[in-house]
Amino acid sequence: MPDTAYIYDAVRTPRGRGKAGGSLYTVKAVDLLAVSLRALVERNNLGGENGKLVEDVSIGCVTQVGEQGSCIARTGVLLADLDESVPAVTLNRFCGSGLEAVNASSAKVASGFADLTIAGGVESMSRVAMGSDGGALWDPTMEWKYGTVPQGISADLLATLAGLTRNDVDAFALRSQKRAATAWETGEFSRSVVPVKDFNGVTLLERDEFLRPDTTLEGLNKLKASFEQMGEQFGLDDLARKRYPHVETIRHIHTPGNSSGIVDGSAAVLIGNGPIGTKLGLKPRARIRAAVSVGGEPVLMLAEPVAAARKALAKAGMVLSDIDLFEVNEAFAAVPLYFAQELGLDLDRINVNGGAIALGHPLGATGAMILGTLLDALERRNLSTGLATLCIGGGMGIATIIERV
Amino acid sequence: MRCEFDSTTGIATLVMQMDGRANKINPSFGEGLNRILDEALATTGLKGIILTSGHKDFCVGADLDFIYKVREPQAVYDVTRSLNALFRKLETCGKPVVCALNGSALGGGYELALSCHYRVALDRADIQLGLPEVSLGLIPGAGGTQRLPRLIGIQAALMLVVEGKLVRALNAQANGLVDELVSTEEALRASAVAFITKTPNAKQPWDKSDFKYIGPQPETNECRQLFAVGGAMLTKKTAGVFPAAEAVISAVYEGTQVGLDAALQIESRYFAARATSDNAKDMIRTFWFHKNAVEKQEGLPRAENSGFTTIGLLGAGMMGAGIAVVSAQRGFKVVIKDIRQEALDRCRAHFDEQVSKRAKHAPQAERDAISARVTFTLDVVDLAPCDLIIEAVVEDIDLKHRVTREVAAVVGKDTIWASNTSAIPITDLATAWHTPANFIGLHFFSPVELMPLVEVITPKATSEVTLARALAYVREIKKTAIVVNDGYGFYTTRVFSAYIMEAAQMVAQGHDPVLVEYAARRAGMVVSPLKVFDEVSLSLAVHAVGSRERWEGKKIDEPGLNLVKRLVEIGRAGKLAGKGFYDYETKPRRLWSGLRAFVEARPAATSFEYIQSRMMLVQGLEAAKCLEEGILRSKRDAEIGAIFGVGFAPNTGGPLAYLDRVGLKNVVSKLDALAAELGPRYAPNQLLRDMAANGERFFEAA
Repeated sequence: MPDTAYIYDAVRTPRGRGKAGGSLYTVKAVDLLAVSLRALVERNNLGGENGKLVEDVSIGCVTQVGEQGSCIARTGVLLADLDESVPAVTLNRFCGSGLEAVNASSAKVASGFADLTIAGGVESMSRVAMGSDGGALWDPTMEWKYGTVPQGISADLLATLAGLTRNDVDAFALRSQKRAATAWETGEFSRSVVPVKDFNGVTLLERDEFLRPDTTLEGLNKLKASFEQMGEQFGLDDLARKRYPHVETIRHIHTPGNSSGIVDGSAAVLIGNGPIGTKLGLKPRARIRAAVSVGGEPVLMLAEPVAAARKALAKAGMVLSDIDLFEVNEAFAAVPLYFAQELGLDLDRINVNGGAIALGHPLGATGAMILGTLLDALERRNLSTGLATLCIGGGMGIATIIERV
Repeated sequence: MRCEFDSTTGIATLVMQMDGRANKINPSFGEGLNRILDEALATTGLKGIILTSGHKDFCVGADLDFIYKVREPQAVYDVTRSLNALFRKLETCGKPVVCALNGSALGGGYELALSCHYRVALDRADIQLGLPEVSLGLIPGAGGTQRLPRLIGIQAALMLVVEGKLVRALNAQANGLVDELVSTEEALRASAVAFITKTPNAKQPWDKSDFKYIGPQPETNECRQLFAVGGAMLTKKTAGVFPAAEAVISAVYEGTQVGLDAALQIESRYFAARATSDNAKDMIRTFWFHKNAVEKQEGLPRAENSGFTTIGLLGAGMMGAGIAVVSAQRGFKVVIKDIRQEALDRCRAHFDEQVSKRAKHAPQAERDAISARVTFTLDVVDLAPCDLIIEAVVEDIDLKHRVTREVAAVVGKDTIWASNTSAIPITDLATAWHTPANFIGLHFFSPVELMPLVEVITPKATSEVTLARALAYVREIKKTAIVVNDGYGFYTTRVFSAYIMEAAQMVAQGHDPVLVEYAARRAGMVVSPLKVFDEVSLSLAVHAVGSRERWEGKKIDEPGLNLVKRLVEIGRAGKLAGKGFYDYETKPRRLWSGLRAFVEARPAATSFEYIQSRMMLVQGLEAAKCLEEGILRSKRDAEIGAIFGVGFAPNTGGPLAYLDRVGLKNVVSKLDALAAELGPRYAPNQLLRDMAANGERFFEAA
């Protein structure tokens, strides 16, 4: 790599419940994005002439229709008072979009094609419904050719193949809730989270509001499996069976309690090379060691963080034991559990501050958010290396390895 | 084909009447229709057009001779495009066009009806409408997948077309398939004239700028869900072995997102792909050519009618009751005799339930008449007036002999005796009957009310007249007959046993039962083998093998059979026992979780493909043996018998078509490999070896 890509800063909004009545429901998606962009500008001396130094803004956003359509990234730049000269692009790699934005920005810096970039993501799931963008993935041809199923069925299939029980996934969900609650109490998120205020300066939300610290295992056990009826009666399990003929029964164990929450939020990360930091008087916090994405089996869909992590390690010339902490997106509890099981990892090193089960998963923003969470956690524990990874629709995976400097 | 113009009303009637007995869509149909349409359109003072048929049926659809032969997608595409252009011309000709359905309109015939502005049909009970193409491995190719969703909504159209369901004219108005039902030819015309008068500027809904689908609009979440679930439900039902049904869903999905002209192009594309596929060739051969020949009983001795008035049934079990239902429904008097009153009571209850279910639209008087035709008795003397006696007692030759003699004493010499045994050679049963020429096998399948097949078995002594009358009876009760020669297990039972015993065999050798079950369904088998084994019951299977052993005079020692015996010993005798290969306490039923541990053996190698190929090959081999041994009289019966009798994979076209498709050279080498691995019973027979050596096939390549 001709240049090293450094992370100079990372911010995110708190995550609001992603439905009418959630604290961020009255905030347009572009305004939500502007909150993170503006915070990054203010904290890093990018106002005025300095703003011209930002060479590109890459924003992950999954459901790019309605008010999230027509390149929300550029409108976000203009409304966040970045300089007019700053271009922007909106990226969609499903749930990996936010981290894809980080990886793409890092690649521009590392290749020398850009000195300073902003990466990030936004998703207002309360205002733009998940799936409302339709898409090629819905084409019946995918059912004929692959037997593709909705993600919830894939999650239950993954759990079945991994031999996970309802108790395993519920215990993991409980752990996510407890860790997230503790993280808030102990200030784990205070460096990154910026409050969302309206244009009058009235604060709308300053803490993640999805988490439920009073969660109990008994309570989780009582929840109804979300995909059982869909899978068994509407034939979706049978679609998956074309690829998994030896699975007589998919055990449906995922519930709203052990799956990621639907929330609103945005995040932004400042990435640049060494000289630009010096010029702006900024101190780099970490460098990007590897940035990869992978494709795999589209029916099971959610297993690819394993392959992504392996590939990232290989590219960085590292081994598992070189990594201090992992962030594995908790799309469903089975995903991090399977990840740990396949790689032989202790859960203590994974999602130390909880994850999307407790905090929520604002699709296009999550990747950028968990990277910031990972960096904060490394700093607070005085550890060095971390790997962030997400499972992705259509059977993909993405991973990024960072190392503090 | 002619155009009749009435200058007083200004209405042109296009009468479709092709040479022969029916209107079939082929190039000359297109030319003819185009000619008379042009003639009408050139007539001064034309106010509207009525399209009707000069034959009994309106139009029975495409001429399959052309489709069966053609392998060039471009050729099919071109033909389809030109037919679509003609239909499009009809509906955009600027005058109201009414379709007067004076007979059935199937496939292309109904697509023609859809291309008219108004459909009025006679309410005759025999008139059927719809798009059955998928049952031949095809999809509608003249706009059916596009106009029907635009007429009745996407979901409603999918439900009909994906399954190839036909609708009786009587129910067609409720379904939206016709606009109006009338009772007479005069009313048919009057209603057509009324529409033309009332609607001088008729336009198809899909040609109007404010067109909306009934139900969900394309490209909405609701619609996407509908397709996702529709595709999944199809897969649940068929395990994904019917590409034509899948093509229907794709054509509707893609076509409803664009205007009709583009949509027709998309449909033609899918049609050309399906029409030229192996799957369509195999299904057309079997479900059109073979099935028509079998239904017409081509090449078999013919009696105009059976001449039977009273049918006697011996044994009031499920079989007897079912045969009674279908016979009484067709006007036969039926006498059911059993030795136990409670069996008769149960039989009567079943009979009543079936009659009310099957004739639910018939007036009470008709249902009463059906019931009045049946008598239940404990006294053998009551069988005296019967012209045909069907014996359906338990599979025990001594018992069968005893009841045969008992009845022989009370009926005349010309009474025909038929045994419903599923395996015992008819020749051996006939020894108890006074007139072997009047003795025949009529093997029904359970449940008789639903299963369309009767396997007719003719020992050497059976007379042509007896066979002809038996075949007429099968026609009269609306069943389909295959005719086979005598031998243990005849044809269908042998193929069926090969199927389920091979499954047990593989389980016994340690192959994964979950894979065995699913591999069968993915090959197209209608019911997976261990499930059907449980339904037959394991103890009955053990009993049947015992009987075959006595017949063949040798011990049958196969690992599968030993496993079945061991399962019976531990109480897992099948579905009735509440447990067999499956557990029935849990819902849905699941394979017994202890099964793999119960079997200690493990195969050196296993795979989904190996299991599937072995299970299908043994059935093909059994069919080839039946052909070589002369049990089968014709190859068509091999296909029809296996599919309609025992649920052989319909997508393949039948066991012989399956072998053809694998390639006989390939079949022989695969069977030789199995014989080397597992023993000589897998070895290909001489017929297969010779055919493979000579590069022959069972059916000419199409």
